[in-house]
Amino acid sequence: MASVDTAPMGCSFLTTTPASTFAPEDFSADEQLMVATAEQFSRKEVLPIAERLEKQEEGLMPALVRKAGALGFCGPDAPEAYGGLGLSRALAARLLEYLSLNPSLSVTIGVTSGIGQVGLTLFGSEEQKRQYLPRLTSGEWIGAYALSEPNSGSDALSASAKAERRGDRWVLNGTKMWISNAKWADLFLVMAKTGGGGLSGFLVERGYPGVSVSREEYKLGLKGSSTARLVLDDAEVPLENLLYEEGLGHQVAFNALNLGRFKLSAMCQGPAREAMGLAAAYSLDRKQFGQPVASFGLIRKKFAQMAFLFYGAESMMYRTGGLIDSAFRREAGCGIDGNKRAAEEFSVEASACKVFASEVQAFIVDEALQCYGGYGYTEEFPIARLYRDARISRIYEGTNEISRVFMSSRWARRTREGRAELRTAGDSFLSELLGKAVAQPFDDQIRAGAISDLMMLGFVEQSSRLRAARCGGLQPALYSALLNWVNVRAAEAYQVVTGQAVSLPAPAPFDWDQIALAVLERKGPAV
Amino acid sequence: MKILVPVKRVVDPFAKVRPTPDGFGIDTTGQKFEINPFDEIAIEEAVRMRERDPAVDVTVVSIGGPECEEQLRKALAIGADRALLIETDRTYDPPSVAAELAALAADLKPDLILMGKQATDDDCNQVGQMLAAKLDWPQATFASKIERAEGSLTVTRETDTGEETLELPLPCVVTADLRLNEPRYIALPGIIKARSKPLERRPPAAQPKPRTRLIKAEAPPPRSAGRKLASVDELFAALKGKGVI
Ligand SMILES: Cc1cc2nc3c(=O)[nH]c(=O)nc-3n(C[C@H](O)[C@H](O)[C@H](O)COP(=O)(O)OP(=O)(O)OC[C@H]3O[C@@H](n4cnc5c(N)ncnc54)[C@H](O)[C@@H]3O)c2cc1C
Repeated sequence: MASVDTAPMGCSFLTTTPASTFAPEDFSADEQLMVATAEQFSRKEVLPIAERLEKQEEGLMPALVRKAGALGFCGPDAPEAYGGLGLSRALAARLLEYLSLNPSLSVTIGVTSGIGQVGLTLFGSEEQKRQYLPRLTSGEWIGAYALSEPNSGSDALSASAKAERRGDRWVLNGTKMWISNAKWADLFLVMAKTGGGGLSGFLVERGYPGVSVSREEYKLGLKGSSTARLVLDDAEVPLENLLYEEGLGHQVAFNALNLGRFKLSAMCQGPAREAMGLAAAYSLDRKQFGQPVASFGLIRKKFAQMAFLFYGAESMMYRTGGLIDSAFRREAGCGIDGNKRAAEEFSVEASACKVFASEVQAFIVDEALQCYGGYGYTEEFPIARLYRDARISRIYEGTNEISRVFMSSRWARRTREGRAELRTAGDSFLSELLGKAVAQPFDDQIRAGAISDLMMLGFVEQSSRLRAARCGGLQPALYSALLNWVNVRAAEAYQVVTGQAVSLPAPAPFDWDQIALAVLERKGPAV
Repeated sequence: MKILVPVKRVVDPFAKVRPTPDGFGIDTTGQKFEINPFDEIAIEEAVRMRERDPAVDVTVVSIGGPECEEQLRKALAIGADRALLIETDRTYDPPSVAAELAALAADLKPDLILMGKQATDDDCNQVGQMLAAKLDWPQATFASKIERAEGSLTVTRETDTGEETLELPLPCVVTADLRLNEPRYIALPGIIKARSKPLERRPPAAQPKPRTRLIKAEAPPPRSAGRKLASVDELFAALKGKGVI
């Protein structure tokens, strides 16, 4: 039964201004203690062996996963009944953020505790959950998610892997491409087509006959993570390992990604946090013209800009975490249908988080590298690796283009279904622009993408505004800086949709130096 | 065996501290607080003893305001069984802390008081010794290794001249040095379990009677820029010039 809770609905940020939203400041003391453990684990166990991980030294990464599992990082938000810790999804994301100081580790843990596990948590039968979840949540087993194929990426429904029922088993054939964790995964969630033509999900153990993994891809970054093909050659899978219903695998796959995109934004924030800290330390140390480069205005401007963009991403993504948690609370006890509704409810917000955080990460690692000058361009310093590792964030779990197509079209679809309204609250300059923009047709991709940009920027702006007003300190200054930036981007997007220029409101006053100095002092984000 | 571990809340030892504008103390606004690192080593050691022998019971105690609960909860998350907050807003000097802990020991009757050798905020290194004297118990300070035997402990301690191994009958006071152990990462299940462990508050047995008073706190003078010298001879001449040698 669905409760009559007044909790917000998906897309409601567009039409209403809530009284308050969840923010990182809301984590309790013991939740912060958990986050401290995640950071310590990264700093003491992972960062010192980053180079060995890059070389994929035999057994090193799986051993780290097991250690992480013993500390509780492989299933923090999984149900306690199956070995998870039952923590909130917002907190699980915060933990992942701090495990992401090294992105190769975080993609490994992020997949086994996220998209490689959540399909089972949301859609698994009692038997399936009891059989597999405790092994994944403890870190004893590693999970993987296998949807993409050589000829089926963004167009995931066009997959050609096939599953056929033969007697007492399913027989799977096909190749799954780009499978994170393939080298060390024990369990794959595989999507394949069955007789009716729809996708179905299968829980495929590594040891089943006909299952093999090809050589590692030679990648630009994330070299410590495993990415390889999963080859299914008459792979034999027991009948009971069909996940959920035959032909409804796309619901499993896409709902895993709805939550995955939210978690991915945390995996963008962690490396961005680390890059800022490294660049701050370096800039204070490096002297030119007789003074630290951190004292120059154009270097300080970089730190201020990194800081307010980071703040915007952080405000939006933890707000989204709080929203997703509220959806799962509301649907508690409603079974698989409830899980589906909860995972879908904030899919627009989660996509906005993924796109914005990945683009902020790209900006931050780029400018952080710039602070290093020529030294940043060498592998002598860890910033080059963070730069390479960041590039994937805009590609996987739905490219940023696909996510931009998704946001505005899902808003329109929710409106048709009576679950949203195609209008705006008008609580800001941007919200007014968006209100005018959606009054026009946006059926071509370029306009639809610009509408999505306005939605995303609006979500960032509102989330930061509400958080800054509540938390004070340096936050109102960060918000002012962010607001000016957002408004310029919004005017650009508006121009794309309507072909008309708009005059910007007067910029909010703020002090670049004040923000930059906070980053330099804290060697990390300004708050 | 009952172990009592006193725990002090201190400013993050890696943070930069500033005196308050009036110079009467340390400005703690915006600072992070931690368990005194030597106390954390003591907690770790006690918890390891408990893990080896379920009959061991570990109580942690802190003297201070309600904010100390944060450190006590952390100690419970590491694995202590129960926590006690002696609630006060007064300032304690080492003899006052020792007096309060002695009163508590008379009540709880622990077999072992295991504590940090000193706190990183004031670096006094006095409470353990004073407490042992007040209780008239044997003590071993600067422990780098502790082994249990029937009714006694064998403690290796680090001294300036090398390692010294002592045998002490229980009850006794032992203070932990840096090398005693390396504290664990606090596992998430431990933090969750700590939520339901008992944390009792009680008033102090007596009011503190500090014998010293802080009259001034000053930041160290900023270091002036150094100078590179080419040879030992130059260094010698420079030191001589300044009248240092
Ligand atoms: C390191 C790494 C790890 C990965 N891990 C996994 C994993 O664990 N499991 C898994 O299943 N997959 C994984 N992937 C695959 C990843 O999700 C896909 O690469 C991604 O979805 C894009 O698909 P594609 O590579 O086929 O690109 P394509 O779909 O061929 O896209 C090419 C370009 O066209 C654009 N494009 C495509 N369609 C449209 C459209 N309709 N409108 C506008 N633009 C469009 C894309 O945005 C992109 O810029 C991983 C990939 C990498 C590189």
